[in-house]
Formats: sequence, structure tokens, C-alpha cells
Amino acid sequence: MSAVISVDDLGIEFFRSRRRRMSMREMLFHRKRTHSTETFWALRNISFTVKEGEAVGLVGGNGGGKSTLLKMIAGVLLPDEGAVSVAQGVAPLIELTGGFVGELSARDNVYLQAGLHGMGKDEIDERFESIVDFAGPQVRAALDTPFRHFSSGMQVRLGFSVITALDEPIILVDEVLAVGDKAFREKCYKRMESLLEGGRTLFLVSHSEAELLRFSTRGLYLRSGELAMDGAMADVLAQYNADAAETGK
Amino acid sequence: MTLIDRTRAVIDKRQVLWTLVVRDLRVRYSRSILGYVWTVLDPLLMSSIYFVVFVFIFKSGKVGQQPYFLFLVIGLLSWQWFSGSLTDTSRALLADAKLIRSTNLPREIWVVRVVIAKGVEYVLSLPVLAAFTLFYALQGKVHFNLGLLLFPVGLVMEFVLLIGLGLLLAPITALVTDMARVIKIVLRMLFYLTPVLYAGNRIPAPYDKAVWLNPMTGVLEMLRAGFFDQPVVRGPVILGAVVTVALLFVGAFTFSRLERSVLKEI
Repeated sequence: MSAVISVDDLGIEFFRSRRRRMSMREMLFHRKRTHSTETFWALRNISFTVKEGEAVGLVGGNGGGKSTLLKMIAGVLLPDEGAVSVAQGVAPLIELTGGFVGELSARDNVYLQAGLHGMGKDEIDERFESIVDFAGPQVRAALDTPFRHFSSGMQVRLGFSVITALDEPIILVDEVLAVGDKAFREKCYKRMESLLEGGRTLFLVSHSEAELLRFSTRGLYLRSGELAMDGAMADVLAQYNADAAETGK
Repeated sequence: MTLIDRTRAVIDKRQVLWTLVVRDLRVRYSRSILGYVWTVLDPLLMSSIYFVVFVFIFKSGKVGQQPYFLFLVIGLLSWQWFSGSLTDTSRALLADAKLIRSTNLPREIWVVRVVIAKGVEYVLSLPVLAAFTLFYALQGKVHFNLGLLLFPVGLVMEFVLLIGLGLLLAPITALVTDMARVIKIVLRMLFYLTPVLYAGNRIPAPYDKAVWLNPMTGVLEMLRAGFFDQPVVRGPVILGAVVTVALLFVGAFTFSRLERSVLKEI
């Protein structure tokens, strides 16, 4: 099996203050930069490879850099040091409803969202029915109403349904493995399982131990921007829990 | 060469680009039935206002070429493409922040698609221009000539200019909060510094040469070349083309330098 994701000595630096927005007015009249220039490395010296068909779970505390790492693998953030190379197409379950436009109907939105992720019109035509079926009867009934009239649950369901219908070999999940109500969550899990059986590579960020153990076999543990551990999921979780208990004292 | 690589990356995603352009147009036109009318009405009303002000009040319809109304319509239609596009491209990376955060596309696409969507609107407004041309041509007032061939060249130049400026301004606006206001003011000033309402040869020397540095002067010179009995002034066309290409390089370079920071910010 060849490596499909390889991360090599990765590092990314952020400004300490969350926004570094500058303002012309202040630059002109106060002759100073309006933001603090203090920076920190959200991630540094991270190296690992993921082979085809592996299911990797990423654990770590808040601010540990999990989502940042995932975004760099998805290609929506660029590293300041090192490199990420992803050999195959990616289906990112990140910000599920980000691509939807409230003004357009749900039908148009499915075409738009799937199109943005690289699906051709014929492919979407072919899969349209199954996408809507998966999202549920409520969504089907409202297909031609503007998307903004959808309840937030219906919105994420449709989002999940579209992204998981993409035929990409790598799936990235940022804590949205399961969305919607209880019944729908179980449907999400089932779809995930069937995708994994189909040989997809999974990269999962989650705080749910049950999800991590259910879907991933290998675990990566990020602790304050460094890769603290890389091993079997159960062992990594044990270490993470031990650390958490330590700091919780 | 990065510019070629990036261009190729955008062209590879042309299907996505098209989807986005169609989305833009659909959103605009699904909001109101008047959608199309609005895009044409604005420049037409402005043309009428300027026509009344200059011809009936200032009694100086000779500031432009004749027929002056046709001269105004050509100028204002393409100025609308220019200013609308610039306003929207500068906001492009902020307006679509959510999409940019969730899809891995060459980021230049968000700029290019605005220019194309606005360009499609412009092309859709050309029948109005054709109607007015016909109206004046039937009265024998239009002096058609070979300069008409320059019309498409002018469009291409405006397109490249808008891409260059968009690539330059989009990341800066994402990082500098009040840039959008600055752009608004500069655009208004630029409007009067561009021969939209008047012909370029009306500017007293030596300032007429300074206006040549503004590529829109060259663009308008080419767009209007085929309709009036004035020879094309080569200066603004050549200088404008040079500035346009330079802006494209500066824009592409700035965009690639700031891309990283922008992605962290939005």
C-alpha cells in the first residue's frame, strides 16, 4: 500500500491576537501597525504518512492544532514550513453548509455544492436521487424552496449527504461525522462504515471516544502543536486520557 | 513561471468556475424579475443625466464625440463593468470566506469568477448599445469604420486589467479592514480622471499624456474607435496595454504572496 497523505516537517504560525486585521486609517494617522506582531506556532515539526485505506483518528485538547492540521490536509490552509502532499482526491466534511446559498433552491444548491467539489453535471444527475433520499423525506418535500427556509438540521443533513456522495478516495472529517437527530446519526454512521469498507482512507477529528474507536484503527495525538504520539487508536486514547486526568487534577 | 501555472490551475477548474458564474447570475436574477433591467437601467439613466447636464445646461455637448449620447452610453456601460467588478473583486475573498474555507480550489478563482460574471452582464447589455447605434445610424450620424475591429480587443484588455487589479486588491482588502472605503473613493475620483464623459483630446497638454497611464483610457479609446470619425490615438492604447500587463504581474505576485495570510485570517 502506498502513502496517500504524507506530511513532512509541517509547521504553521499564527498571530497571537486572533485577528491581525489592519486599518488604513490607523496606519496613516498613528504610524503604527494596529495589530500585535507576536506569533506562535500552532503546529510544528509534524511528520507522518497515511497509507491507502487506513482510518486515522486525531485526538488532542482544544487549541492543540487538530482542525488546523485537517485544514492543511484539505488544502484550505497553507503551511509556513514543510509540506503536505495528498495523492488522491479529498471529500472534506468541514463546514458542511458553507457552500450553500440561502437564496437558491435546495435542488440548485445540490448541483452547486457537488459541482464545487468537482463533480460533473452528469454524475450529479445520476446521484441526485440517492443524495436526496439520504437527506430524508423532509428535504425531498422542500426541494424547490429556498435553502434559507430549511431548518438547520435539514441543512446539515443535505450537506452531509452531498459530500459523502462524492466519489473521493480520502475522507476528512472535522467533528461532523454524524449530524442531525438520533435516527439520522445512525444513518450517518452506517454510511461511514460502508465507505470505509469500500477502501476509503479516513482522517477523523473527534472528541467522541466512541466514534474514534468505532471508525479508526490508528491514532495520532497532538499536544500543544506537536505530535505527541502515533500508534494504535486504543493506546493513543489511553495516553490522552491519562494526560487529561493529569492536567485536570 | 507561477503565472502560467496558476492560469493553468484555474483553467483546469473551468467547470467549477462556470458553476460559480452561473450561481452569481442566478442569485442576482432570482431576486427580482427586474434583474436584467437594473443592470441596463443604471448606465442608461446616468447617460441621460449627463446628457441633460452637459448638452442643455452647460451647453457643451462638444466635450465628447458626436453623437454625444452614444459616446456616453459606450463609456458608461464599460465603466459599470469596471467599477462593479472592482468593488466586488476587492471583497471577493471576504464575501465567500465560508466557501474558501471548505473547498480546495485555486484561490484566484474567486476573483476571476467575479470579473467573468460582471463581464457576462456587460455583454448582455450590449444589445442596448446596438439599439442606440442603430437609432443613430439610421439618422446617418454614426461614422462606422475599421476601428470596430478594436472593440473586442478593448474588451479583452479591460478583462485582463480587471483580473490584475482584482488579484491585487482582493487579498489587501481581506487584510486591511477599511480598504473597501478607500477603493470606493478612489473609484469615484478615477471616474472623472478617465475619459468617460469627455474625449481624451479635450484634456489640456501636458496632462493629456498623464491620463494615458490609466489603462481605461486606452480601453475606451478602442471601444469607441469604430463609431466616430476621430482617428484612434495610439498613445493611450499602447501605454495602457503595457500598464495592464504590468498590473497583471503585480496582481498575481501580490496574490500569491498574501494568500497564506489571507487564509489564516478569513
